[in-house]
Amino acid sequence: MIIKVENLVKRYDGHTALDGLDFGVEAGDVFAFLGPNGAGKTTTIRILTAIIRADSGSVLIGGHDVFKEPAEVKKIINALPESSGYYEWMTGREYLGFFSDLYEGKTSTQDIRALLEAVGLHGKEDHLISSYSRGMKQRLGIARSLINRPKLLFLDEPTNGLDPIGRRDIHDLLIDLNRKHGTTIFLSTHLLDDVNRLCNRIAIINYGKIVRTGELEKMKGKGTIDDIFFTSTEGGTL
Amino acid sequence: MIKSILTAFVIFLATTVNCSTVFAAGRVAVSIDPPSVQANMGDKITYAGAITNNSDKAVNNLIAYISLANVTPGKEAPMDLEDWSANKAVKVDVIPPHGAYEGKWPMRLIDSGSYVAYITVVDKESAAPVTSPVSRLDIKRILRLNPNNVLPTAIGEPVIIGAVFLFIYLKRRNKAI
Amino acid sequence: MKTAYIMRKEIRESVLTSKGFLWYILTSVILSVLSYLFLTNSELSLLDQGQMLYMIMNFVTALGILIGVVSGSDAIAGEIERGTLEALLLSPASKTEIAAGKLAAALMNWCIIFVISIPYLFVVGKGGQNLLSGIVYLAVLGTLLAVIFSAFSMGLSARIKSMKNSLIVSFLIFLLAGSPIFLSAALRTTWFGRVLDLVNPFADAINTFDSVVVDSQGFSYQTGRIAIICGYAFLSLLFLKRSVSRLEM
Repeated sequence: MIIKVENLVKRYDGHTALDGLDFGVEAGDVFAFLGPNGAGKTTTIRILTAIIRADSGSVLIGGHDVFKEPAEVKKIINALPESSGYYEWMTGREYLGFFSDLYEGKTSTQDIRALLEAVGLHGKEDHLISSYSRGMKQRLGIARSLINRPKLLFLDEPTNGLDPIGRRDIHDLLIDLNRKHGTTIFLSTHLLDDVNRLCNRIAIINYGKIVRTGELEKMKGKGTIDDIFFTSTEGGTL
Repeated sequence: MIKSILTAFVIFLATTVNCSTVFAAGRVAVSIDPPSVQANMGDKITYAGAITNNSDKAVNNLIAYISLANVTPGKEAPMDLEDWSANKAVKVDVIPPHGAYEGKWPMRLIDSGSYVAYITVVDKESAAPVTSPVSRLDIKRILRLNPNNVLPTAIGEPVIIGAVFLFIYLKRRNKAI
Repeated sequence: MKTAYIMRKEIRESVLTSKGFLWYILTSVILSVLSYLFLTNSELSLLDQGQMLYMIMNFVTALGILIGVVSGSDAIAGEIERGTLEALLLSPASKTEIAAGKLAAALMNWCIIFVISIPYLFVVGKGGQNLLSGIVYLAVLGTLLAVIFSAFSMGLSARIKSMKNSLIVSFLIFLLAGSPIFLSAALRTTWFGRVLDLVNPFADAINTFDSVVVDSQGFSYQTGRIAIICGYAFLSLLFLKRSVSRLEM
């Protein structure tokens, strides 16, 4: 199991964001993490990626304790946050170069070019990020999250705000990543089409607790993904 | 008769008193050198003041100070020497009988115009201070455009930094789509 | 090493964007105007050379502090507001390494301001006394003040997480630090004025410049004030470390 979460609790100013969260993700999964707004999806990802600390509970990523060995965890994971900003004054190539410098196994110039090509930014790598469209920035964010060839990739609403073509390209990229490189993908999304196309397992979070988890194909026997979501969250909005 | 005698006595007394004032004032004299100066703004000049004791007794504890008055037409005013001179007044402990003391008053010429400088000596034994003749001082305005060779730095540095910025900006702008 | 990469990124941001360059141009223009005024204006030009040098040194220090306050306030809160900090926190660089890189970049900005000021110091102080010792003291004390104000603003920006608010607070503190200079000379010689001057690192630096450049006093006269400035630098670094270690998105 690449992610093992037990009894995770996080409180903000008296409000309980995560209330004893328990779930696990197997290596190689494309895991959908669904829940209404404010259910605790982003907080969960931030704890799992060692950006914030939990009040209690335990998280093992690839066998490493997130709270005790954050540096080890960061070597094998990466993430694309929901509202990711970019250094607009950099070019795409400079942006990836900067992040690759921060890792021990520095990515070569050729690898950076290949990465930019893989996300569809070929020919734009030497242009300023300020001139990129939203979709291009999202692709660059994905390229950045692949810079250390992570075993586990967290994506928070990766196709948010993209047009259908842009979404399809990202889907293809993620499928390719999962199938060819075996990268485990932890996908937080509110787009059920993303879930249908990409994921093999899902977990639904509501009020800081996992209310449903399992294999997508098995769940589909009990209704559409929309039905499963609405019955699990008592009509909560995605 | 008595009236005439009294009048003569009063005149004698008055004359005696007057004679002593004149004597007291007359026992010290002061001169200023040079008698006239023509210089430029920013120049440094030095006035010399010679205080002489004309009496047969030593004079003690004299105070001598220099004054400057602006006599430029329309700007007539006494000057505050705050910025002009660091040593405006001197105390002379003693001048022997028929001796002299020479004081120096260095001055930086702060502003242009016509001035008179004079030295005043205060003798506590005298009823009135003694003042030197005035020395005329004409200060010409000069426009120093590049003192200390400041212009190459003052203009050059912002221009160089601006040019580097422009170069980088234009180079980076080409990277925009 | 990660610290060096973060510092390089910050410096490139300063140099490649108008953010830093405007400061550099502004600094050179202000120093050009001041130097020219000092040397040509009829009244000011008759100031003692050492006095002019001292005044330029004060301006350079104030500009260095100001740029430290602005870059410090932007360092953490600015990245949070622009949504770029999360990606940085996801990298293997620790929070301390990130803060150290940003602080080093803020100090590099001060160094650039200092380098820009050197030709002006030479032009204004030419022929006067204590020019070289003045420049050395400016380099050392200016760097310490840049550390104090940059680290404090950065720590504040990590705690408040709002660039605007941390900038306002830091700027107010900068004004407070500068306020004793506006006190009358008479008030500054009272015991209250002296204590106020002594506990204020900015006033300590300026009084040291005065003592070194104008009054030609040696190092032994400066040790007390320099020790106080060093103390503030240590405290501000401690404040930054604690603030950053508590940082949460």
